[in-house]
Amino acid sequence: MSGDEGLPVSPAEEASPVPPAQEARREAIAFVVAAASWLVPGLGHALLKMWGRAVICFLTVGVLVWVGAGMRGNLFNSRGNDAFDSLGYLADLGTGGFYWVAKGLETNGPDVSRADGDYGTRFLATAGVFNLLAALHAYEVARGRKV
Amino acid sequence: MTAWSLIGLLSAMIAMKLSHFQALVVFALVISIAFGFLGRRRPIDRVKYILWTLLLFLLIGVGIGWAMYPFSH
Repeated sequence: MSGDEGLPVSPAEEASPVPPAQEARREAIAFVVAAASWLVPGLGHALLKMWGRAVICFLTVGVLVWVGAGMRGNLFNSRGNDAFDSLGYLADLGTGGFYWVAKGLETNGPDVSRADGDYGTRFLATAGVFNLLAALHAYEVARGRKV
Repeated sequence: MTAWSLIGLLSAMIAMKLSHFQALVVFALVISIAFGFLGRRRPIDRVKYILWTLLLFLLIGVGIGWAMYPFSH
């Protein structure tokens, strides 16, 4: 494999370029997939017909939110006092629709005076960050950069 | 029964008390399985990745716990 001057040419350079219209359409679909994946964990992968990953994403976020709320972890809101509260809110928002499920589950409110509540806070934040990671994965798959 | 009262009932059912180690195991297990499915495609690769990640989570978690032990007194 070589170019006109005998220089090696990578497969990407050899491949015919994707038409801009098709590229824009693919980008739009990828955004929709990522948004769906954020709103309902696993939905993005389900739209891409990756059933195993869809079920695992849904169950992972669901279990983490369920256990986190059961341990009475702190679910941050938009009225944070400092940067850590704001970051916690962003992480919790990452769970998408499960944010409101967690709010509904925590009928007695958070209790971080015990280690359990502190662990619960981490479980809830991890659920959100994991869901954002899963949404990014679904976006990359939809763009054709990952399998 | 409304949806929110059902959620409240579920919430009462899950009011759980986990020890530190149980919480670590639940966290490590759930995240290992999720990473295995997200990061690998072939089933055998997924199993290997899940087991390896789980082992590292537990070893490093317990290791950090022991490293902090002298400062707890």
